[in-house]
Amino acid sequence: MVAALRKEEVERLEKEGAWWWLAEKKRSERLDYLRKAVWKKGALGGEYAPGVKVGLERPILFTESWKENDYDPIMLRKAKALANVLDNMTIFITDHAQLVGYVGEAPHTLLVLSEGASMINEEVYNEHGVIPEPEEESLKIIAEINDYWAGNTSVDKVARLLDPEDAVKFLSGAIGWGTPSSSYGYSGKNYEYWLTGQRGFEDIIAEIDQKLAEAEEKTIGTPGPDILPLYDKIQNWEAMKLILEASIRYARRYARLARIVAENFEADPKRREELLRVAETCERVPAKPQRNLQESFQYDHFVQVLSRIEAFEGAWPSRPDYYHGPWYDKDVNIDKRLTRKEALDLVGEFMIRCYEVGLFAPRWAREGLQGITGTWVWTLGGVDKEGNDACNDLTTAFLQAARLVRVSNPTFGFRWHPQVKEEVLRECFECIRQGLGYPSMRNDPVLVANSVHWHKHPIEEARTWVHQACMSPCPTTKHGTQPMRMASATANTAKIIEYALFNGFDPVLKMQMGVESGDARKFTSYEELYEAWKKQMRWLMDILVRTVNLGRAKDPEFFGRPFLSATYERSVESGLDAVSPEGERGNAWITWFTWVENIDSLAAIKKLVFDEKKYTMAQLVNALETNWEGKEEMRLDFVKNAPKWGNDDDYVDQIMAQAFKDVAEHSWEIKDPSGNPWPVLPENVSGNIHYSNMVGALPNGRRLGDALYDGGISPGPGLDKKGPTAVLKSCSKFNHVTDGRAFLLNQRLSPTQLQGEKGYELWRSYIKTWAELGLDHVQFNVVDDKTLRAAQKEPENYQELIVRVAGYSACFVDISRKTQDNIIQRTIQGLA
Amino acid sequence: MKMKCVSCNFEAPKAKFRYLYNARIDSSGSYRQCPKCMNWLFVDELKGEAVQVVKTGDALWGKSAGVEGLAGDAIASRG
Repeated sequence: MVAALRKEEVERLEKEGAWWWLAEKKRSERLDYLRKAVWKKGALGGEYAPGVKVGLERPILFTESWKENDYDPIMLRKAKALANVLDNMTIFITDHAQLVGYVGEAPHTLLVLSEGASMINEEVYNEHGVIPEPEEESLKIIAEINDYWAGNTSVDKVARLLDPEDAVKFLSGAIGWGTPSSSYGYSGKNYEYWLTGQRGFEDIIAEIDQKLAEAEEKTIGTPGPDILPLYDKIQNWEAMKLILEASIRYARRYARLARIVAENFEADPKRREELLRVAETCERVPAKPQRNLQESFQYDHFVQVLSRIEAFEGAWPSRPDYYHGPWYDKDVNIDKRLTRKEALDLVGEFMIRCYEVGLFAPRWAREGLQGITGTWVWTLGGVDKEGNDACNDLTTAFLQAARLVRVSNPTFGFRWHPQVKEEVLRECFECIRQGLGYPSMRNDPVLVANSVHWHKHPIEEARTWVHQACMSPCPTTKHGTQPMRMASATANTAKIIEYALFNGFDPVLKMQMGVESGDARKFTSYEELYEAWKKQMRWLMDILVRTVNLGRAKDPEFFGRPFLSATYERSVESGLDAVSPEGERGNAWITWFTWVENIDSLAAIKKLVFDEKKYTMAQLVNALETNWEGKEEMRLDFVKNAPKWGNDDDYVDQIMAQAFKDVAEHSWEIKDPSGNPWPVLPENVSGNIHYSNMVGALPNGRRLGDALYDGGISPGPGLDKKGPTAVLKSCSKFNHVTDGRAFLLNQRLSPTQLQGEKGYELWRSYIKTWAELGLDHVQFNVVDDKTLRAAQKEPENYQELIVRVAGYSACFVDISRKTQDNIIQRTIQGLA
Repeated sequence: MKMKCVSCNFEAPKAKFRYLYNARIDSSGSYRQCPKCMNWLFVDELKGEAVQVVKTGDALWGKSAGVEGLAGDAIASRG
């Protein structure tokens, strides 16, 4: 009777699309508890949720040791400081949890990194609501720590080296964002080195010991230039060894805690058994290689946490089904140690432990990534090194667990390829249909070819790729893994067309920013305008890349990554900091925010000014200068009577194709510190909202203040009028391998249309067309306007409603009203 | 030409009402804020008229193009 009622209720919830409530009914009691016990760390709009506080133990313990070890070289000094944190920071185990490890001293804390950037330290001090009680005492501690680091953080040091003009322009916040240091960046993980079951930290320590012995032998041998670098390397290896040993001790503190609770306090025999298993797991990993699924997840999670205690890692490059899959298979299918349901609990908890991680982010990052703490896109599916389908039972388990835990972070990017089995594709569809906004669909053959084209990765290595952040594929191999991608290579590209129209002058900032490219009022042809646009485009790429290259080259000296280095095969082998460009093939990319405005603006000017001669350039520039005030008819003319991207219209699509060709040409001219090119990657996160008050009126019809388009190569909201296939066809008119690194496409689909078998058939057919046209990415929102409007009106009833923003998902109520409206404005495409 | 706030009757040139953002780029409807009562107003930019006070969830223009017949003007769709 109870089961029948439950079935009836489940069916009703499915019919109503009440996915959060459905998940509650379907998941286990443990998973339900863990999901609800976790603190939400993503900022609500730009503010942290009440009760979330910065953790002070990490900055106190780190700084304390740092001061004591003044004479050590940076990597060793840093390893000692981190070891002091790992040995002394408070640890905790969440009730019912089977996986442990957190970046702060309590579940509600955010990690603070004092040695990264003074400008962010000042934000910590000034941020309302996040200072732990007693506030006065905490502020005093923070002030003392900030004073100590002022001028000595890694970003402070890089900033002093920048050309002063570059520094002012870069720090204006108008043309890009981020900090040129790995203290705030995205670090790839060399999973092929440590997560394949061949190595634990003790094995890596043994490799380091061997290196140390060889180096020490040489330094007392025949003098010569080959000996000299070894003196530095010996200290680096010692630092790596020191931090690995501290990491093992850190894990064993959890083991001890679990055992103490189990043996002295836990009354429930089942939970006692679980705690003893946690203890056994933490005694095993990361010291030794994993033997089962729980150990495999725990090993991975420890490495992720330790990396984030070392640096603010804004992304979470991962491929969990590929690397943990063999242990799932062993436990569930071979040894039958776990039932599928028990395994699903572990998978769900693994996602929740990631969701829990919170790092204090500056305001621009909180506004640009509303609702989340980082772009934690896990990679599923794809092919193995030989090109065979790599999907396994764990791929399916992750897609099922996602629907049970419904977290907005991590999300998934699914590597679609022609061999993907129908049942796996259905699981992807079900996540999308149930409104998660993920997985995003990635075209594996295109992206593998892209990695080979741009960074010359051998195809076997390119096939190991994971999302390094939202979008960019990065191998997990010795020479393929990228240790440092800094968010500061992020361009607010709407400024390109703005500067082309104002001769490099920024009408919002009121200062000369770009190069002088001519007075647009006097341009007499489209070609003249386009040449000015190209000059500004090159200038923008150059200034950002100059800054980032300097930050990257100086990072081993100014910041240092002993833990990351100890998990990189090439660093353990070479004795160099992981961030050192030596031995890396590169995976650089410039994130290309607010891009399509350029194309729609160029097309509008070409048509209305130069082809039809309806307006003069002077009239247009004057209208833009006054933010279209009193020129509403003219503005609407530029919106409605000019071709718009995304409608399979060659007039504008060819402008896009040409622009990408010119950008790609310059991508090869500018080099990263390894000598590799800098392709662009159009996407937005919620930068389209962040920059909406920094970009002035444009010829596509926007005014200062309007949300910019939602990003990547997505058409302007509501401007794609010819249906989904027309959007795909427009997007297929440039080359997704050679014209850039990846290209984000947002699409909204109707939840009603996706119901049932017919809905799946429609979607599958859409994906087939998308793949055949050679697009590399597409992601979906499947929530109707009625629900979104209702959530705006009664947010308390829609706390867990998830939407795809751009490159990431977030709870709808956690993003600002303007971002919400921007999502509602997107066209709902009807599939046919 | 002056615009009148539909909430507090404050009158001033339209530009004095702080422009917030558009309802949709292809519509003449926008959000502006009354400098006196601070309410958000939905404004017809073509006519220079404040149409109504905006409350969350009440926005009549909040339909997506795919639903309402593709990019219809927000003002027109009100009727």
